[in-house]
Amino acid sequence: MSVLCHSYLGPNGAFVNGQKEFDIDFSDRQYLKVIYENLVIDYPKFHKMDVLSKLLILTEELLHEEIPNDVNLEDDMALLMANRSSSAVVDQKFIDSYTLQNNPSPSLFVYTLPNIAIGELSIRRKWYGENSFFIAEQFDANFFIRQCEGAFRNGNTHVLCAWIEADMRGNEECFLFLVTHSEEENLEQALIDILNTYRNE
Amino acid sequence: MSELKEKLKAQIIEQLNLDYLTVAEINDEAPLFGDEGLGLDSIDALEFIVLLDNHYGIKIDDPAGAREVFHSVNSLAAFIESKGK
Amino acid sequence: MTYGALISPLGKDEEEHFLAFKKNRSGVRLMEGAGFDGKSWCLSAFDTKDKITYDRLLQHTINQVLAKCPVDIHPSKRIAVVLSTTKANVLPDVSSAFDSSRKMIESSFPEGTDVTIVSNACISGVIAINIAADYIRSDKFDAVCVIGIDVLWDFVVYGFQSLFALSDEACRPYDSQRKGINIGEAAGAVWLTNKVPNRFFVEYLGGASSNDANHISGPSRTGEGLYRAVYRAMKRSNISANDIDFISAHGTATLYNDNMESIAFDRLGLSNIPLNSMKGYFGHTLGAAGVIEVVMSMLSMEHGMLFQSLGYNKNGTDAHVNVITENKQMPVNTVLKTASGFGGGNAALLLRSKS
Repeated sequence: MSVLCHSYLGPNGAFVNGQKEFDIDFSDRQYLKVIYENLVIDYPKFHKMDVLSKLLILTEELLHEEIPNDVNLEDDMALLMANRSSSAVVDQKFIDSYTLQNNPSPSLFVYTLPNIAIGELSIRRKWYGENSFFIAEQFDANFFIRQCEGAFRNGNTHVLCAWIEADMRGNEECFLFLVTHSEEENLEQALIDILNTYRNE
Repeated sequence: MSELKEKLKAQIIEQLNLDYLTVAEINDEAPLFGDEGLGLDSIDALEFIVLLDNHYGIKIDDPAGAREVFHSVNSLAAFIESKGK
Repeated sequence: MTYGALISPLGKDEEEHFLAFKKNRSGVRLMEGAGFDGKSWCLSAFDTKDKITYDRLLQHTINQVLAKCPVDIHPSKRIAVVLSTTKANVLPDVSSAFDSSRKMIESSFPEGTDVTIVSNACISGVIAINIAADYIRSDKFDAVCVIGIDVLWDFVVYGFQSLFALSDEACRPYDSQRKGINIGEAAGAVWLTNKVPNRFFVEYLGGASSNDANHISGPSRTGEGLYRAVYRAMKRSNISANDIDFISAHGTATLYNDNMESIAFDRLGLSNIPLNSMKGYFGHTLGAAGVIEVVMSMLSMEHGMLFQSLGYNKNGTDAHVNVITENKQMPVNTVLKTASGFGGGNAALLLRSKS
């Protein structure tokens, strides 16, 4: 198992394979829209997505050129993601829609599950691979490795993993990494090092 | 009419939680639904029904029949005017 | 794989559920004013006098599964729990929705028990079992318990109401008159182990998932994701269409979902396999659905009985589906379980009776 490529979006900026692409002004609450414009994405649906979907779409856009252009990936790449807060941010907005605005909002409700972000990414890229979303207390490299081993045992050739978090205090980050079955390496330490670099840069 | 359109755009942004989109970024003519324009879908059509009811007192019973009304900001504004609201 | 727990408005263990299904008893009833703005919907809810909360239901379930652990639980330290839930304790505080579940499992199971939480909409239960089976295959664990649970929050009822997806009648999966979902609450559990349990068990053959890559809240019209998930699961299990005796399908009784399933099954050559949806008994129990429907499928295998798909009268899907119209005594050896849900997810698994 090895990490083929990785990207990150968080308070310290936008990165691809350890290289900073640009800084992010996190105090600007429109920062996701600013990145969307920076990356010159033309995907109008983006604006109505919840924060997890937006984070994932942008972090994958950063990485996209690094992902092998292989038609088999549409079936053989599993999407495996985890976070701590599930879809709490949009959950609260939906609760507000029926408690404060007296009108349960269908367009908010459809985002009140964390795996919707996987769905949005799958739709954008036409990926039909295996899906799983986990709730974990923190990023745990060993947990991702264990799930990747399972995915490879089942015949997947790649696993696109994400730690994708947005909590009620406005902490947001997405760490995306593509794991292949190919060569062995100490993946646990490698993943911990990569994420620490991104967080502490 | 143009005042109504500007108001409509602000209401659309709020009703559909298009967080950081601005009124200036919504084109009067552009289709609201489908992959062009705003990329809205049938779930968002439900929000338009709520919007028309809450802000303009217009009830829509048949969402499917309202597709043409929901086509663009222009068609929505014309529809609201025709209802004399 | 063997029994763990089953608690729903229909009963408090597997045996009570078998009797309820044998009599085609439904947990679904009209709940006056349960919807937003005082609307009434058909739902499957625990009696209010039982004061079932999410935490109490989870604790009851844990107590049942601990009593049924198929290995000697204490010396082991090689136990894992995979929890499947969509909203857990989402109220009153969205930011700690999943915290109580993890704490309760950790304090109830032996120290060192590994806890995984899956939250992948309505396919969570099937995915959780697939993950548990992989944990066993990895040889890192002696026994893995899968718990599926969700309760009826206003949050969920109001949400499905806002989508115009609920029905004020008992739901009618695959029927021409179907008009929507009945949401339900329940918990269920199974144990997986590579030891041979000294009681009834079935063999897990294989499983898979797939995304429709089409829409986050509506299924693919062609059943693409379900087709791919079942196809993969059959390939991994080395099972062909003719081997399958029964399909425990998803069947939510929405127009689009049931139709999509019929098309996917037709493409897979599974149109003639007897099939039911258990939503007419339990309602749609979200994160619990996959697990409790697998428990009922195991009861079908143990007792050689296929259960009627409640609410079905006349076919109402584009492709043919062989819906079970009355309880039938027959050997049930190989079972396909499927699920589909929001986010475009689809999942499938195959089980085989050992008897």
